[in-house]
Amino acid sequence: MQTERLFDRIDSIQLKGITKKYGEGFAVKDLDLEVIGGELLILIGPSGSGKTTTLRMINRMIEQDEGSVTINGIDTKNVDPVRLRRNIGYVIQNIGLFPHMTIGENIGLVPKLEGWNKKEIEERVKTLLEFVSLPPDMFMNRYPKQLSGGQQQRVGLARAMAMDPPLFLMDEPFGALDPILRKQLQKEFLKIKNEINRTIVFVTHDIEEALVLGDRIAIMDQGELVQVGPPEELIFNPANELVADIVDNQRKFKHMDTLKVKDLMSPFEDKYVLQAKTEACDAVDEMTKRDLETAFVFDEDALLGQVEIVDLMKCRHREEKLSELAKPIKTFQPMDSVAFALSEMKNSGEYLAIVMNSKHPVGILVSDEVLLKLI
Amino acid sequence: MLSIQAIANVWERNLMTMRTIEHLHMFSIALLLSIIIGVSVGIFIYMKPKTANPVLNFLNIVETIPDLALIVLLLPILKLGAGPTIAACVLYSILPIARNTYTGLKNVDEQYTYVAQAIGLSPREALLKVRIPMSLPLIAGGIRIALVFCMGVVTLGGLVAAGGLGTVLQNGIQLYQKDAILVAGLWTGLLAVLLDGFAGLIEKKLHERYGTW
Repeated sequence: MQTERLFDRIDSIQLKGITKKYGEGFAVKDLDLEVIGGELLILIGPSGSGKTTTLRMINRMIEQDEGSVTINGIDTKNVDPVRLRRNIGYVIQNIGLFPHMTIGENIGLVPKLEGWNKKEIEERVKTLLEFVSLPPDMFMNRYPKQLSGGQQQRVGLARAMAMDPPLFLMDEPFGALDPILRKQLQKEFLKIKNEINRTIVFVTHDIEEALVLGDRIAIMDQGELVQVGPPEELIFNPANELVADIVDNQRKFKHMDTLKVKDLMSPFEDKYVLQAKTEACDAVDEMTKRDLETAFVFDEDALLGQVEIVDLMKCRHREEKLSELAKPIKTFQPMDSVAFALSEMKNSGEYLAIVMNSKHPVGILVSDEVLLKLI
Repeated sequence: MLSIQAIANVWERNLMTMRTIEHLHMFSIALLLSIIIGVSVGIFIYMKPKTANPVLNFLNIVETIPDLALIVLLLPILKLGAGPTIAACVLYSILPIARNTYTGLKNVDEQYTYVAQAIGLSPREALLKVRIPMSLPLIAGGIRIALVFCMGVVTLGGLVAAGGLGTVLQNGIQLYQKDAILVAGLWTGLLAVLLDGFAGLIEKKLHERYGTW
């Protein structure tokens, strides 16, 4: 079925007096919210606050009981839902790649239904895979279960971009990933976001993620909108206790001076280790198997540095050894103070460091993880 | 024990090459019809859930009629020959195929059907591209059960002049030719085992390709 394009860009999305009841209770109660074209709006709140319900009412996966959703002045009630959804990219936490289709078929599914020819689809799939840093030749014909969690999430993103939609809805897209992976994908997503310059509505329960990614943040509680505004407004002028609670940065740093690196590091695991003589191609396979985005390179016992899978895949055709590719990484002692470690990391713009006890790695310090543990 | 020569003689005397072809001919027509009707019924009751229980109950009742009785009941309508046998096969086989198709379609993991809808597949596209492919292993399982049913019923067809290997068995019983009974019996059994094994192989392949559990 071929559908006509509904809108090329988003000027504004208006949610007016939206109410959704579940039995006696309200999932969302009389909500007014505007999404401005080109922004990334975060919906955040405790579980049961109605943020996901709100998101799903934009593409009519849930129909509101009262109120209206208009995109560029068009009431979504008057639009065929299939056509509406093909104009909206959708990414969810559990990704939901179809297990019986290859990566290429997954990404090309909607273009195929739209009647594109084989060649157009293949080109589009290749472009998108390259865009999310997955070499097409290596991944197009694989099945989802052959990919690591991080790679699957990249494919999920590529699939959402297939029809080049002007609007994206993202429901905790990085929620199921481990902290290191999450941080890495956020970093990349931010880059992608700036490149494609689209309107994005993004649900999360992670305030760090919200502060990093959001142009504006809407805080919801018990089905109602509590406050919406840019991050600094929420921090400096919180509307109530809840907002202050969610965004409060003060408390995080209270004990900073007394804390040591060893108190806040994540334990080091053998799975992070790759040997210096490993070739880049083998390392990519190995990291996929271990579900790693970043690994640390050791020559016997000596730390050489870190490698990221994104970089390794670029030099796929050369048989380089990891010893040549490893990038330097900061190291700290377990008894170093956290404040010192964090400021060092901030200065060099790194988010990862390794904690060494004399010569042995004992932990990993992830800057965001540290902040979260301080809350 | 029978010598190879003796087996060859029995085979010749009873025209068993021809009988085997007849047998497989009836069997293939019956199975093909069963698959077409069974899968269609399965999809239909999935799309109209209110009809699912009555239809499956009715098919269950058909299933409880003894196969010999069913063939005899069909005789006045379809006359002597392969007709009643094929019809009985199909009537028996619809249930396992339709039930497995229905269960398969219904039990596709909700996250996949949700995503299909959310990225803009129409209900029909979601059925064709996601639900049916993901149900294939279970549908194949139903077809495999039907295949075993059909082999049995087709053999019974010998009683009502349907031809096939059942005729050899029937003659052997009536003329008390032990060697004919033995050869035809073993051969029919072997055919059933081979076909079942082949179907099992296909089912396994489908599981690897489409299975999620």
